[in-house]
Order: sequence, then structure tokens, then C-alpha cells
Amino acid sequence: MPDTPLFPVTVVGSWPRSTDLVRALRRKEAGEMTLDEFNAVADGEVLACIRAQEDAGVDIISDGEQRRDNFYSFAVDKLTGMRLMKVSELLDYSRDRARMEEVLRALDVPSFAIKSPIVIDRIGKRHGLALDELAFMREHTDRQIKVPLPGPYMLTRSSWFEGLSDRVYPDPEDLAKDVVAILREEIIALRDQGCDFVQLDEPILSQVVFGEESTETFMCAALPNRRDPTDELEMAVRLMNQTLEGITGIRTGVHICRGNWSRKEEVLLTGNYGPMLPYLTQMNIDQLVLECATPRAGEMEVFKEYSNEKEIGLGVVNPRTDDIEPAEQIVDRVKELLQYFDPDKIYLNPDCGFGTFAERNVNTHDMAAKKMKVIAEAAEKLRAEYR
Amino acid sequence: MTQEGNLNGLPREKLAEVLESFRDPDVFNAVTGPWKSRVVWQDGMRARAYMRNHQVDMDEPGDLTATDVAASAHEQLLSAIGSCMTVGFVVNATKQGVRIHDLEIAVEGYFDNIRKWAGVEDEGNPGYGKISAKCFVRADADEDTLREIWRLAVEGSPVTQSVAHPTSVETDFEMVG
Repeated sequence: MPDTPLFPVTVVGSWPRSTDLVRALRRKEAGEMTLDEFNAVADGEVLACIRAQEDAGVDIISDGEQRRDNFYSFAVDKLTGMRLMKVSELLDYSRDRARMEEVLRALDVPSFAIKSPIVIDRIGKRHGLALDELAFMREHTDRQIKVPLPGPYMLTRSSWFEGLSDRVYPDPEDLAKDVVAILREEIIALRDQGCDFVQLDEPILSQVVFGEESTETFMCAALPNRRDPTDELEMAVRLMNQTLEGITGIRTGVHICRGNWSRKEEVLLTGNYGPMLPYLTQMNIDQLVLECATPRAGEMEVFKEYSNEKEIGLGVVNPRTDDIEPAEQIVDRVKELLQYFDPDKIYLNPDCGFGTFAERNVNTHDMAAKKMKVIAEAAEKLRAEYR
Repeated sequence: MTQEGNLNGLPREKLAEVLESFRDPDVFNAVTGPWKSRVVWQDGMRARAYMRNHQVDMDEPGDLTATDVAASAHEQLLSAIGSCMTVGFVVNATKQGVRIHDLEIAVEGYFDNIRKWAGVEDEGNPGYGKISAKCFVRADADEDTLREIWRLAVEGSPVTQSVAHPTSVETDFEMVG
């Protein structure tokens, strides 16, 4: 494994999908294309994504989630007992359709564009969740590799839907036991096969803490039945620690942002990490991969009382804009965090992926590459100053 | 883009024949009208509309003291607009051989002065002053083609245009018994 420099540059996961790739994805879903045929298309796209990150100077790269419909729904292809369902299909089962309509209006999205992996039977592993992605990456890059996976809380909460899942798992806690077991096994296998960094995505925690009823995102289909935010955060901590208990030899992180489905900043969630940090720091993970580039993330001062408790994957560019942040601006942002964290605790990344949902790229391939390049430039400046 | 046979759940060739037949004055007269609905009061604010061999229930929201067992008439008007646009989109897409994967239309409206309905004001228009509709589509065609299909769907929508243009509503009344 190459040495990790100070201020390592990495991605959160997704990279924009090409039209050809999205079309192939849909053909695969419709049964018009075999998995091998799809992978033949996706291999080329992943290679382009790898090269773009390498050329931009990214130290820890991902495969851009090019083979995934989105960062959690791909679980349907990898696990038994799940079905990918559009929100338009879930409307038929929902007890509160009026609220779901409010959410769709707030997000300005059609119900067919958002899909959730819904548990309809007892879940089990069909293949590894991301072992095939890792194997392809390992063949084609010498860089360190990050593999994003849906976090245990997210996978549980997003896939348990009353009226569909409760026939097998009476409540989400029952499902969580199987989710935790599957994720544990996966992380150990990823580590054993050369993955450097596994990132567990828990973005719905922002929704739990900051989301008004009308701004929930459907990343979590079951949230209509949500409980008190404190209960949810405690559940997230418990499941994360059960998943990672005793696992060493691989860097682990949790990613939490405030939504990445729209370029309209006003429809994304707002609030600093203050209410979440007491819980996130209880998670037995190495790194908090956080969105910090936009004013919606609030001030760095919230990290003051958690100095050096975890590594911070600092979001330093907004993945959804057409402007390239100046390197100096990134350096200044990092220096704000350096008041509370040592240089070797800080990683640099965008706020989120560049294409969280396959059909809703938030930026272009070229712009993603430019944004990563400016982060790498900023990292070089910081390394020169803090070496 | 061109596909023969069944497309979007419609028999493409047969559909083209049917649409073409509208040039025939007899067909034109038959499809022009009258179109009918008979609305029968059930109880409270609930009503049931009978149309050919179909029926649709309507009610009002609970905060109006109604039982809210069905959508209200004004909501169903929005739905009718969206449904009519949907039909128009699918028909025009199918005519052009465009395969649709997903289609959704979000419609919303604001009343000009609902106080008139409530009887607390005499002036103004209690009806919708503005209705907006947004089409979301995933289909096998380029954006320009789909925008043109959307334009045809909107401009050719009988329900949409009934609302968008002045339509005379003649009323009559009879006390029975």
C-alpha cells in the first residue's frame, strides 16, 4: 500500500454516470442486458473514473459507484430478500401518502426517480456487496482504495417498510441483526482482499436530526414511522459498533451529509454537526467524513470540544456547483479545523459524491475532475506548510 | 426510435388508425360529445360521480368537518388535468415511436378567493387562479423530442384547455317533489 501523505485527498464515493452507463443500468434492471454485458460497459466507465482521479491527484480513490444505481439501492443486486421499489410503488403501501407527496414537492423530484431496496423476505448474501468492485479496482490501480457501503442504520431503516417487511421482520431491530452480520462479514472480506478504507454511509442521520416533515428525502422509506431523534441516533451508534466490533486492519469512516439530490441549495438540509457529534464520537470508527464546504454546514467551532477524537474527512468543495473553489479558500477552511485537529487527523474530500443517484448527476465528469484537482493543489500547499 | 407493434402498452398501428379516423365527420361528432357525469349526494360532503360504467367518490378534508374518505372535487380536477396531459403525452410519444419508461406529472393549484366558497365574502373568484403542472419523464428520445411531445400534450389536452380557456357552464335547476 502506498504511504499516506499528510492531508490525504479522497472522494466520498460517487462519480457522474454517463448517459450510456445509465441506459445500460436500466437495460440490466429491465432484464434486457445480462450482468456480464452490463459489466462490460461499466468496466470502461470505472477505468475512466480511476484515471480521472489519478490524474487529478487523488490519493485514495473509489470506483465512482459506477456499477450502482445509488449508494444503497445496489444492495438489491447483492442480497437476497430485497426488491428495488420506486417510491411510486411504495405509495400503494404507505399509510401517509399526503406526507410523501409533500416530500416529493419539497425535493422537486418524481416518485419514479427514487428507489429504495425494500426487504420482502429474510435477507442473505448473494455475493459480496462490493468485493467485485474492489477486485476490479485492485487490478487497475496502485492507489489506496476506498469502498463506500451503506451504513447499518441506513440499510436497516431504508429497507424496512411497514406492510412489506414486517411479515418477515416484525420491526426494524429484527432486521438490523441480519444487516449487521452481513456488513461485518463484508468489511472483513474487503480488508482481507486489500481494501484500504471502508466508508459507511449514514446520511439519513442528518434527516433524523435536521429534517422537517416536509424535507425528508426518501433515502429512508421507513422514516414516516420514525421515533425520537435521540432514539434513532442511539440506534445508529449501537448498530455501527456492533458492525465494527473487533475489526482492525482497515480504515473505517462514517459519511454524513445533508442531502445531495438537487443543485438547489435551498431544498437541502441545513444545520451544523453539533447535535450529532456526541453520538458520532461514540462510534468505534476512525474517521468522520463530513460536509463542511457550504454555509449550511455551520461553523467549525462545533468541533472544538471533540479535538482529535477522530480523523475528519473534511468536505472542502461543493460537488453541486459550476464554480471551482480556489485552492486558497480550501486551505483557509482546513486551517480553521487545524485549530482543533492535528494535521495527520485531516483528510480532504468533497462534501459528497458527484452523482449520488445514477440519474441525477450533480455535476459533470470534467467538473468533478477539476474539483478534485483543486483539492489536491490545496493539499500540496498544506503539506508544504505543515510537513 | 421507431418501433412497430405494441408500444407503451398501446397497439401503435391501431392507435394511428383510430386517431386518423377523427377526420371522419361521423367519428368526430361521436367523440365530440356529449360527455356525461351524474353526481349523487351520499351524505355530509360526500358525493359519488357516475360516468359511463365507472364511478368515483369525492369528499372533503376532515378539517372542513367532512369525513375525508375520498379526494375532493377540486383535487380531482387537478388530477383530471394531469391525467389528460398524461394520455396526450403517451399518445403523441407512441405516434412518434418513442418508448416511455416512466412518466409523472405533478399538478398544483391555488384558489383566487376561497372565502367566496365559504360565504364570508361576496366578491372574487373562488376557483383556481393559477394551476401549474410539471412533467417528469424518462424515455428513449432526446430532450428536444420529449419537450415537443410535452407541448403537444398540453396544447391538445381537452381538460387542460377547458380550464385554461373560458368555458361556458350552463346551469339549470329543478325542485323535485
